[in-house]
Parts: sequence; structure tokens; C-alpha cells
Amino acid sequence: MGSSATQPLRSVDMTARHETPRTDVKLTLPAVPENVAVVRHVLGAFAESMRLPDELIEDLRLAVTEACTNVVRHAYPAGEPGAVEISIEPREDRVRIVVADTGRGIGTSADTSGPGLGLPLIAAIADSIDLQSAPGGGSRVAMVFGRRDPGQAA
Amino acid sequence: MTSEPADNDAPTTVSIAAGPLVGPILRRVVGMLAARADLPLDRLDDAVLVADLIAARAPAHVLHGTVDVAFEPGPRTLSLRVGPLRPGGGDALVVDAAVPGVGNVIEQLADELRVSPEGEREYLLVRLEYAGTS
Repeated sequence: MGSSATQPLRSVDMTARHETPRTDVKLTLPAVPENVAVVRHVLGAFAESMRLPDELIEDLRLAVTEACTNVVRHAYPAGEPGAVEISIEPREDRVRIVVADTGRGIGTSADTSGPGLGLPLIAAIADSIDLQSAPGGGSRVAMVFGRRDPGQAA
Repeated sequence: MTSEPADNDAPTTVSIAAGPLVGPILRRVVGMLAARADLPLDRLDDAVLVADLIAARAPAHVLHGTVDVAFEPGPRTLSLRVGPLRPGGGDALVVDAAVPGVGNVIEQLADELRVSPEGEREYLLVRLEYAGTS
């Protein structure tokens, strides 16, 4: 390698530049069905990078898919565009994921006949769940998942 | 060619704290959006390579410790708006993306590349498209 000021791409150590790297991710997407797949791919990349155990990855994917699908199906009236925002906050002992929208808030919508399985499923999978309606409109589902080591008893 | 606005005009953005997650997440998002924009495989690969370079170089030039990218997909087009970057960060990011023996990869692959100053910050705009016929 010559004395060029430029460096080969693979030699960059980004963690060395930031002594306490924050690894938070915020993704904002139009609330449309095809973007649920984008969220799942991002979760996959996140989980691989964090070396999360397979069981936790599946839990994350299932819960976040349900939360995002709720936003796509119920948050906004038909034909009215809106966004879904996913925040991923990994910590040493847990992963916190928040799925938020600016839609019509939590409640029954005209296109459903009653409460679905989504939220009970998330509640069963996550270690904790916090459901909020924002005062100005919208909803926010915060899920926390413990980072269990593979093989560790539940 | 002007692209019709999508049915939904909510933004597509990603904000990733500068660190080890920038590369893996940015390349996944860019890959998905490039595929949805119906870019052919070689241009999709170009888009992911550009994403990798941005992910590797942008953390040194961002303003607030996060790599922020806004996307504007269109028919066979994908535009990225990277920033806010510190003053001079846009040009510096492009210069940093030069690979010895290859040259500046972003400049070679992008159909449009420019820096947009906005007050005390600036943004790097990158557009990839496919103008050929299938």
C-alpha cells in the first residue's frame, strides 16, 4: 500500500473512533405493508451485528412485525398516508424497541370486529410492554426483551 | 423523467448512532429500497457498495454522532440524502471514499453527487438510477 492519504475501506475501525459507541437505530417509513419486510430485514441486520441468540431474534421479529402490522392496518384511515417509526435501543442486559405512529391512536377501528391477537401476542413474548396513546394523536408500543445468554435457564 | 409521488408521502429515513451498526443496517435498507425501485442487479449492487462507503466514512463527518440518511425511491431511481454533516463534511466524505488503485467509487457509481449546504450544516446528495432498457 502506498502513502496515499486515502485508506482501504476494510481498514476502518469505527468503534475505535467512539469510545462508548451508542448503537441506537431509528427507522421511519411510510406505513405500508411492504415496509414491514424492510423492518424485519433491519432487525435481522441488528441481531446479527449484536450476536443475539436465535430465540431472541425470533421473538423480536415476531413482536415487531405484529406491532408494525397494527400500525399499517389500523393507525391511519384508508387513503391517508402516515409513517411508522421504529426505535431500537440495545443495552447490555436488554433490548428495547419502540414502534410509534401519528395516527388515530389506540382504540377500536371500523375495519375490525374486535381486539386482535397482536397485542396479547407481544405481551406474551416481551418481558414488558408499555402501550400509550399520544395526546396529539398516535400510539406508541414500547417492548423490552431481556438478553438471555444461549443455554441460560429462563 | 419525473416520478409520480407515491401513494404515501411519509418520509423514509434512518438514523443510526455512529458505530458498528451503521454498515449492516444501512446496506440492508439501501438493498431493500433499491430492489423495490426495480434497479437491475448490477445497479442494486452499486447502491449497496455506495451504502457501505457512506457507512464507513460518514461517522467521521456527522454533526451529532448519528449517521442520518433520507431516501427518495422512484422508478428505477434511488436518491440518498446523507446528513446533517459538519461544514466541509460532504466533500470530505466523498474524498475519503477514494480507494487506492480504484479511485473515487462514489463518484464513479453515482449518477448525481452534490453537496447541499444549509446554514451551519450540509448534506451529501447521491442519486443512482438505471437509464437503460431491460
